[in-house]
Formats: sequence, structure tokens, C-alpha cells
Amino acid sequence: MKNYIEFDGVCFAYEEDNEIPAAENVIENMSLKIEKGDFVAVLGHNGCGKSTLAKLCNAILVPQQGKVYIDGIDTADEERIYDIRQRVGMVFQNPDNQIVATVVEDDVAFGPENLGVEPAEIRKRVDEALRDVGMYDFRFFEPHKLSGGQKQRVAIAGIIAMKPDCIVLDEPTAMLDPRGRREVMDTVKRLNEEYGITVIFITHYMDEAVRANRVIVMDKGKILLDGAPKEVFVNTDTLKDIGLDIPEATELTHLLIGKGIDLPEDILDIDELYSHIIRLTEEKN
Amino acid sequence: MSISILETKNLTHIYSKGTTSQVDAIRDISLKIEKGELVGIIGHTGSGKSTLIQHFNGLLKGTSGTVLLDGRDIWEDKSKIRNVRFRVGICFQYPEYQLFEETVYKDIAFGPTNMRLDEKEIDRRVRNVIKFVGLDESYLEKSPFDLSGGEKRRVAIAGVMAMEPDVLILDEPCAGLDPRGRDTVLSLIRDYRSSTGSTVLVVSHSMEDISKIATRVLVMNESRLAYYDTVDGVFSHSEELKKMGLNIPVLTSLFLRLKEKGYNVRTDIYTAEKACDELLSLLKGGSVE
Repeated sequence: MKNYIEFDGVCFAYEEDNEIPAAENVIENMSLKIEKGDFVAVLGHNGCGKSTLAKLCNAILVPQQGKVYIDGIDTADEERIYDIRQRVGMVFQNPDNQIVATVVEDDVAFGPENLGVEPAEIRKRVDEALRDVGMYDFRFFEPHKLSGGQKQRVAIAGIIAMKPDCIVLDEPTAMLDPRGRREVMDTVKRLNEEYGITVIFITHYMDEAVRANRVIVMDKGKILLDGAPKEVFVNTDTLKDIGLDIPEATELTHLLIGKGIDLPEDILDIDELYSHIIRLTEEKN
Repeated sequence: MSISILETKNLTHIYSKGTTSQVDAIRDISLKIEKGELVGIIGHTGSGKSTLIQHFNGLLKGTSGTVLLDGRDIWEDKSKIRNVRFRVGICFQYPEYQLFEETVYKDIAFGPTNMRLDEKEIDRRVRNVIKFVGLDESYLEKSPFDLSGGEKRRVAIAGVMAMEPDVLILDEPCAGLDPRGRDTVLSLIRDYRSSTGSTVLVVSHSMEDISKIATRVLVMNESRLAYYDTVDGVFSHSEELKKMGLNIPVLTSLFLRLKEKGYNVRTDIYTAEKACDELLSLLKGGSVE
């Protein structure tokens, strides 16, 4: 598979006024390759560099050392900044901060309008995008009358109306209730599966991370763990050490293994654990 | 019979009454909250949770029904409603957005100053709560805007705690925090209750969080009070909760399923440690050795 996003020895520090030497690196010599069509969850506690990583993916930030390539384009190439922004769309945490229009469909049209898309084509894209996120029936609504999950889906529609190859979502569910979280995750998952859109999904919720194909755990600007969810979450001690949660089923499984119960160590969800418990009790009798 | 610290009788609130956009935000809520309880309030968005808590300190006045604080109607004397707000403190969702002063000290002192306490008492309270929320006194002279998200949240909560309310209400105190920040805030709430004996109400979407700290759980559904019971009592209604769009804690759901299948297990399980013990006795107990 082709690498769509490539980080090559990237270092990044925020420059603060009057501060010498410059603040320490938020991203420390990071190299990373993400394939086209992949669904990558990024975990890590606050301040570990996750959001900086997200912003480096569409040239909101440019590394001081090393290179970031999107679809082969160097993000430091200012001439091509719009090519990058068109390819990689961003969705942020707070739904109220990213809605600009007073009617849902106008908001979705904002991106393609700025790209200079023909009006007829904009009309088509807006309708398609709203259908894709399940918000077509709300196209004439005022955004402030929507729930948090609905607003986030409108924000996602605004991104996909620009026909990006990749969406980077920075804790899009942090401010939502359980229903809103599910709506957003299901929407993003479908966009990834049906249209092959590459997804980078930053979250604190383990139940969301286990739905990704690949999980990257960051700590102090570096990649600490990287692999399929089952490969990453077996490292319960490492995850706990850096203050992250472990899926409850995995935590319980590891406690039981510690007490001598025969279970596979990579159990991620409670249904899986339930079947094993049933198996063990039946074997016992 | 003892008097409940907080009580509502047939409390109803209708927004925009008589117009086409009339909404029954809460309907016919009658409940009694005893002193010293830590009540978890759950319900999906729009169920009436936020409307309900705003009645407890008179930010909203019911369309009908009453709210009693220590057995007295809070609206008995309208001019005294300010005192009710000092006794029942609400810390709203994302309270860090409400920080506004130049220094952390001034921000925390804002509430006590409004209570017209003397300077010495204000100073005592500010220094007391900053330590309580796990920050040292060096933070007091900083600008609240230079703090991290988790620190801002704690300063904002400290500002309400400094009023030393008899009832502390927190609306989604852990929303948007990372797991470590969330654990810090949860233990802070638990410690506050045990060290002050105050009554604490916590609104949350997280069943896991509620199950770990609450003594009782209040469930709102479609503007009505669905349950007000112990944690175990409420989670035993797992099917009904699911229909209300609420999830029961993952670990509890495992034991409910095992029970349904005919296994003799407890279902009041909310932590991995307890779950482990219970499964061990299921898997090892009763075997012929």
C-alpha cells in the first residue's frame, strides 16, 4: 500500500516570546508512515503532542526539523499549501467553534466555496455530504439548535464536501454524550470503509480506539506503542504508567491471568471475555 | 424524622409556556436528597438534568411545585434567594471558560468576596482550597490563562468550593479531560465530600465514573424522574436504562449477562478488582478438588 502521510525525523517546538533557549520539543524526532485508506487512532495524555501531530498533517504547523509529506507533497512548500489543505481536512474538539454559518447547508458549503468550486457542483456536494453524515433532513436548521453530536457531523460534512483524501479529527467526541459519541464514530467509520478516506482519530476513549485498524500511543512527543489494537492494548502496564485507560475487558482479563486463569491476553471487548468465561465454566463441569 | 437537605415537590418547569415552542423541561419531580449523600445525576442530553439542577439554587424558578432547602421553600422570601445561592453552589460544565480574573487568587476569591466575608477569612479559604485541589500556593499569583486545561478546571472548581456551600453541584466536571485529569477530579470530589460532610451532586454521562463515586443515582428520562435509588438498585434496571439511551457500566453488564445465563454471581460490580474476585469464585469455587 502507498504511504499517504509520511513524517521523516520531525521535530517541533512552539516558539515563545522572550524565551531562550526555545521551549522544548513537543514532537521529538518522529518518523511515521500512514497508508492510504487506513484508520489510525492516536492516544496519549494531554500535552503529549497529539494535537501538534494533527496540525502538522495539514500544514497548520510546519516542522522546524525534518519533513512531513502529504501524498508526496512537502508541507513546508508554501506554494502548495492549498493542495495540502484540500487533501487533509481537520475536525476539532469543540463543535461550537467550527460552525461559521447560520444555516446547516450554508455551513457545509463554506469549504467548497472557498476552493472556488462551481455553484452547481457545490449544491451537489453539499447534499451528498449531508446524506453521508445522516444530516440531510436538518439542512435548513440553525446549527445552534442541534445536539453536539449533530454539530460534529455537520462539521464532518463540511470537510467531506471538499473531497479530501484524509480527515484528521482531534478529540471530536470529547465534549459529546454517549449517543453523540457513537454517532460521530459510526459516521467516520463508514466514510473510511465506503470511500476509503484515510482517518486519523485522536481520542481519550478506549472503546473508540479499539475500533481503529491501527493504534498509536504517544508520550512526550514520541511514539511509544504502534500496532493493531490487540497488539497495543496487551501492554497494560506501559499504558497505565503514562496515565491512560485500558479497555475494561482487557484490564479484567489481565487480573484474571495474574491469578492463574487461562485466558488469551489480547481480549479487547466484554463479549469476547464473556464467551471465554462461559467456555471455562463449561470445561470445569 | 430528619429533614432532607434538599427536597422537591411536584417540581415542573415549562419553557415558553403557551407558545408553539412550548417545552416541558422537567415534569412533576418529587425527590429528597439526604445530607452527606453523593448523588450521581444521569440522563441523555435533553432529559432535563441541567434544568433540574438550576432549580436547586434558584437560578430557575419552577412553573409549579416547590424546592425546599433544609425544609424551607427557597422562594419563601424572594429577597433571600442570594443566600440560597451561597448555600447551594453550582459549578457549570466547562467552568474554566468562566475564569476571568488577573490572578488565580482573585478568581477563587470572587465568590467569598461576594459573600462579604472579611479579608482574613477569604484568604484562609483561598489558601485552603488551592491546596485541596492539588495545586500549591505558587499558583495563586499566576494568571488563570497560563494554566493547562486540567489545572484551569481545578481552579474553577476551587472557586465554587471556596464558598463552602452545604450542597455542591458539579455539571460534567470531567468532560473533556484526559484519563489522568478525570481520575484527579473524581478523587477530589470524593475527598471533598468525606472531609467536609457536604452534600454533593454530580451530573455525568459516564456510568463508570458515577458507579465509582456515587452513593445514590438519580436518572432523568424525558423530563421525568425515572429512578432515584442506590447505585446497585439503579443499575439492576439495565434493560430500561438501555431503552433510555444510557449504558450501564461494561463490567456490570458482564455479570448481568452471566446471571441471566443462570450463573450464581453478584451483579453489583463496578471495578476490575471486584470483578476479578467474583469471577475467581465462579471459576474456582465449587469445583471438586
